[in-house]
Amino acid sequence: MKQIILQPVTRIEGHAKVTIQLDDQGNVADTRVNVVELRGFEKFCVGRPVEELPRIVPRICGVCPWAHHLASSKACDAVFGVEIPPVAKKLRELAYMGHFIHSHVLHFFVLSGPDFVMGPGADYTVRNVIGIAQKVPDIARQVLRARFLGQMMTQVLGGKAIHPDVSVPGGWSKPVTKEEVVKLKEMAKECLDFATFAMNFAKKDIFPQYLEVVKSYAPISTGFLGMVQDGALNLYDGNLRMMTADGKYEDFPGERYMDYIAEHVEPWTYLKFPYLKKAGGFSMALDKPVGIYRTNSLARINVCDRIPTPQAQAELEEFRKNFGRPAQLTLLYHWARLIELLYAAERAVELLADPGITDPNTRKTVSPRAARGVGVVEAPRGTLIHDYETDEKGLVKDVNIIVGTTHNNAAINMSVKKAAQDLIKNGKYDQGLLNLVEMAIRAYDPCLSCATHELDGRIPVRVNIVNHAGETVANLVD
Amino acid sequence: MAEAAGYVPEYCRKDTLVLGCGNVLLGDDGFGPQVIAYLQSHYPLPEDVALLDVGTGVQGVLLDLALSQQKPRRLVLVDVLDRGQPPGTIATLRVDSLPPGRGGDFFPHLSPTSSLLRELEKLAGVEVVLLTVQSPGLPQEVHPGLSAPVLEAVPRACELIARSFFSHA
Repeated sequence: MKQIILQPVTRIEGHAKVTIQLDDQGNVADTRVNVVELRGFEKFCVGRPVEELPRIVPRICGVCPWAHHLASSKACDAVFGVEIPPVAKKLRELAYMGHFIHSHVLHFFVLSGPDFVMGPGADYTVRNVIGIAQKVPDIARQVLRARFLGQMMTQVLGGKAIHPDVSVPGGWSKPVTKEEVVKLKEMAKECLDFATFAMNFAKKDIFPQYLEVVKSYAPISTGFLGMVQDGALNLYDGNLRMMTADGKYEDFPGERYMDYIAEHVEPWTYLKFPYLKKAGGFSMALDKPVGIYRTNSLARINVCDRIPTPQAQAELEEFRKNFGRPAQLTLLYHWARLIELLYAAERAVELLADPGITDPNTRKTVSPRAARGVGVVEAPRGTLIHDYETDEKGLVKDVNIIVGTTHNNAAINMSVKKAAQDLIKNGKYDQGLLNLVEMAIRAYDPCLSCATHELDGRIPVRVNIVNHAGETVANLVD
Repeated sequence: MAEAAGYVPEYCRKDTLVLGCGNVLLGDDGFGPQVIAYLQSHYPLPEDVALLDVGTGVQGVLLDLALSQQKPRRLVLVDVLDRGQPPGTIATLRVDSLPPGRGGDFFPHLSPTSSLLRELEKLAGVEVVLLTVQSPGLPQEVHPGLSAPVLEAVPRACELIARSFFSHA
């Protein structure tokens, strides 16, 4: 028996490691994706004043700081038992739309885009950002410009974009001025123009070219989890909706997540496997999965009945006409991401047209108490749950955080296994295959920055082939 | 265009941009942010220099720099790097001294990528300097705070930065 290990080497070993176990015939027997999460954060929070958490949690992740910042703020609102002012909700959602624009543009065009713009089998030396920039320089300029504007929107609203602290328990600390609204409208409009262009460009020049790849690549069948408000897509607020693979669904408030989600543990990874409790069990068997659901863009597009902005709604209708509901093809995450990009830009324009957005009463006072509070938002990478419990002084007694990547843990493992099974036959594999396996992971946009970062660029992907005795018989590097 | 209307971050308009990279929740990984904080509290900041604690979000700043019509002439990244040296050893490196590879590009969230730094230097003409410190080891779980040798290296690193890049210091 042989093992193939795809392993980016980082300072914390096993940061994201793919192990492919082959049987004696050289076909895939099993796969395991190890994603190391930031461990010990919950313990670190215990004993701290709960109001500190919204400004600490952005440090968990430099990629999705706004998602943690807002989920934490919502959990604190619940702990303090405060209903925040309407303008605070609008400002939080507006800043969040900026973050979504920034994040989705990055993922589609810069991170996963190269798989499509340059072709899935292209050599890495051209399948990168510079490769795109050289092949389609005008698009690259627009892409980076839109990303820049999304980031700047969060900066105008919050003072800083990377480690935000503007959202506080009880509301929002900084009213927006009329002058800033004028600037923000200009930015949001330009983002909407870009989102419209991006969707048209992808439907004309990218998706048709790779439609067969999308349809045939590593299909799996799962349920989906996402947020809706009155049945419509919402990224900041609403109920959670759990949809099973047959399209049936149930809505529930975020604070009841433990009634719907259980956690399975595997001995080979620290990362848990959340699953649908009512399924009565957990199995990642490709032919008959049990309890598996997915989050992130495709899940949100599947669970919502409609999208409350016109352009995104039109795209949703076209998407469903092509792929049904729920759509199961993993690479459709990218398509769904562009629909959400449109929604985020449209919603930003909508919020800025609201004259109440400059209301200076952005915050209510709060008082500590013993309570439990749950805050949920849809992070770009999936449903994000912050669950806090405090004592009578408002000090943290318990914290539980479930991030989007954790929800998708089982599905990522299933997708990688399916991809590997389809691509490795009788022990035959090559470097191009490795990228195709990685594509399964990239579709989910898993967030791994929580652990550490890497500067030196040393051999980040390694293929070890190990025989049944554990001896390395071959060692390939990228 | 918004950029013409003054939406370019101030740090893009400076001559020298110093980025403190790392996660303050993970021991010595917080070296970069700690250096930025020390510089801010102990040195008068020249007008042509910007300091930024980018935490684990440095990739986004680098992409914004790649986008911006205006870029700093020099980019200084402060980070922890394992080079097998005694703990607390400070090194000043150029991008060319990093091994070639696709480090960090496998996923978006491992950063900064040496390839992106190379492109910033070669294509955009930004001088990229890496100021690194050797850690005795990073914790496996959340554990804020620097080790003694790395903490001791903070003022030395700041003095080096000020002497090398703060023309008025």
